[in-house]
Amino acid sequence: MHELSALLRAPRTDEISEEATDPAIRKVAALLRRRSGGVFSRSIHVRMVDAGSSNDVEVEEGLMNAPQVDCERFGIHFVASPRHADVLLVSGPVTLNMRRALEKTYAAMAEPRAVVAAGDGACTGGLFKHSYAVYKSGRVDEVVPVSVHVPGNPPSPYDLVAGILQAGLALDKKEAAKSGKS
Amino acid sequence: MTFATRFRKSIEYQVVEELSRSVRWDANRIVVNTDAERLAGVCEALAKAGGIFDSAVLSSPASTRVPQVCYAFRMPDLGLGVSVFARGKNITCLSTRLDAAAWDERKIKDLAGVQLDGLEDARPLLAHPESGWGDFAEAVSKNRQTVLKPSEAYASREYAMEGTGADGEFEIPVGPVHAGIIEPGHFRFFVGGEDIHRMETRMFYLHRGLERQAVGRHVQRILPLIEQVSGDESVANAVAFAQAVEDLEGIRVPERAESLRLVLLELERIYSHLADLGGMATDVGFYASSSQFLLLREEMMRQNAALSGDRFLRGVVSIGGVDRNATQENLDATADALASFSKAFDELESMTLSSSTFLDRVFTTGKVSAFVADELALVGPVARASGKSCDLRRHFPYGAYKKRAVCESMAASGDVLARFNVKANEVKESARLIRSEINQMPSGPTHTGEKRTGHGFGWGWCEAPRGSCSIFVRTDKGRISRLSIRTASFRNWRGLERAVNGNIIPDFPLINKSFNLSYAGTDL
Repeated sequence: MHELSALLRAPRTDEISEEATDPAIRKVAALLRRRSGGVFSRSIHVRMVDAGSSNDVEVEEGLMNAPQVDCERFGIHFVASPRHADVLLVSGPVTLNMRRALEKTYAAMAEPRAVVAAGDGACTGGLFKHSYAVYKSGRVDEVVPVSVHVPGNPPSPYDLVAGILQAGLALDKKEAAKSGKS
Repeated sequence: MTFATRFRKSIEYQVVEELSRSVRWDANRIVVNTDAERLAGVCEALAKAGGIFDSAVLSSPASTRVPQVCYAFRMPDLGLGVSVFARGKNITCLSTRLDAAAWDERKIKDLAGVQLDGLEDARPLLAHPESGWGDFAEAVSKNRQTVLKPSEAYASREYAMEGTGADGEFEIPVGPVHAGIIEPGHFRFFVGGEDIHRMETRMFYLHRGLERQAVGRHVQRILPLIEQVSGDESVANAVAFAQAVEDLEGIRVPERAESLRLVLLELERIYSHLADLGGMATDVGFYASSSQFLLLREEMMRQNAALSGDRFLRGVVSIGGVDRNATQENLDATADALASFSKAFDELESMTLSSSTFLDRVFTTGKVSAFVADELALVGPVARASGKSCDLRRHFPYGAYKKRAVCESMAASGDVLARFNVKANEVKESARLIRSEINQMPSGPTHTGEKRTGHGFGWGWCEAPRGSCSIFVRTDKGRISRLSIRTASFRNWRGLERAVNGNIIPDFPLINKSFNLSYAGTDL
């Protein structure tokens, strides 16, 4: 009976509008408007790699699938393999032990592809900048090219949604440039 | 006869005294000093006297040439911890007699270059050979920014793993990058058809050098670093660290701060467990249940932010108390939110447990026997689901738990269902604890205000959502000279290796989720 009663309740998803109190939601709303009509406007497939975070970014990535946020309504879908992905979502700092796995994952992706660096560790190396165990200063862009940086300790689920939508814009640009040349 | 007297009279204790240079009894611990060759003997005697192995860590200041190690045991009957210290470059290995210590000893060997005589598994734990590390122990001691030498990059040195050698056995390597939203780790399955003969985990992909990063910094300033040990156990680790420093410096935390810490710790347990419970439902394909667990989890995260200003409750715990006070309105709002949460949670739990498809998958899956739990000194909900009573909130209470009765969730069957039940009951108990704490919240200051600079060492512990976490701190004029952390995840990974034996590959994600260990908290 419980399953059926859920059908009678009002939807639990947050309303996305440019007047929302949460600035991250406002950003998402604006990005959704800008992206309409682009090559990748319908869906973005995402593969995540944790290259050294404390699992906080992964908690928030998991909650992008919570019914309140429901990232699939923005066309964002987490896929199992980098070969299926348009966007690589990387948290960091990049450790020495994870560097090779990150490079291999990126290499497995088809063009066009974009990388989103999620969290302070991935963007700057954070507290581990000077550690013996991270690669160079731990920044993701020292290992693979990064299109969008999403700072935060950790970034909220909507920050991550906005970052991925922004990467979608970057992909649109790449495709437009390519078709312009041919 | 009290336990203490009986313990002092026991033959095991005579052995400990015989093999030690000194045995000192404090109000809250026993400190044993011994030699490197006799260390294993002392530890074995303690284990025979009923001591539970807690951790083996490096304890000398990071700059010392001859390392010192500390092997810690808990004596539940005495309610005391025992710290056994020994110094030397060559230490007799304990893990040949006490299997639980194997990873601890490999870590000590890697970090300080200590020779452990008799260590069976001498493969490098922290530095992956194929990642091109240079001399690891030297790099750690000098804290060079990067130890990768360009010529050595990606050397093809292998980390050997062996199966059982059964006929027709084949290997399935999985990870470090997995299919789901999860941290990196490598699992190697040795299987015959669907049946898992043996599984080996290989961790430390997330080794960030956290313990070394703390060295030389002021104790007051490294809580943000401690909160990076494991994101969803930020409060527990922060409290364990704060308690280690408070123990060392002799600081007394005001009552209200202790109460607020309890509220934070239990809120953290709730949102942490919700992910595990929802994850188990996801892994059997029961999305009607799992999405509602996610719904509740996101609600709790928002509640965390409303109460403390941070979804992960970070930045609140400080040494000597808490940095942010909570208004009565905020606390009442939390209590109200928990009242409606509990109602929704009970409904969801009964819905999940009344599904035959769910029960069919979790019943008798991934069994951990009480024997294995003992052998590997497992902690937390995993051990409790196998009938081992080990909740530190009850057996070694700290802070506000000294005054509160905690009902320990237990189960006996040790399967995935048992772990589900233990975690679900802990969520309910946490909600009850928070609401009753808010009802009797003492007023007064939230911080001692006193600042001391101690010199010496301290232990702090905390029952984190995944089990006991122990933190060893040594300071020198207020600055950290050694930090060693042993999280529950570090202790329980080897339990997972045992739990999957004899199960089928498709059940592995489910068993893994029922443990839900932190990779970052293991790798540090």
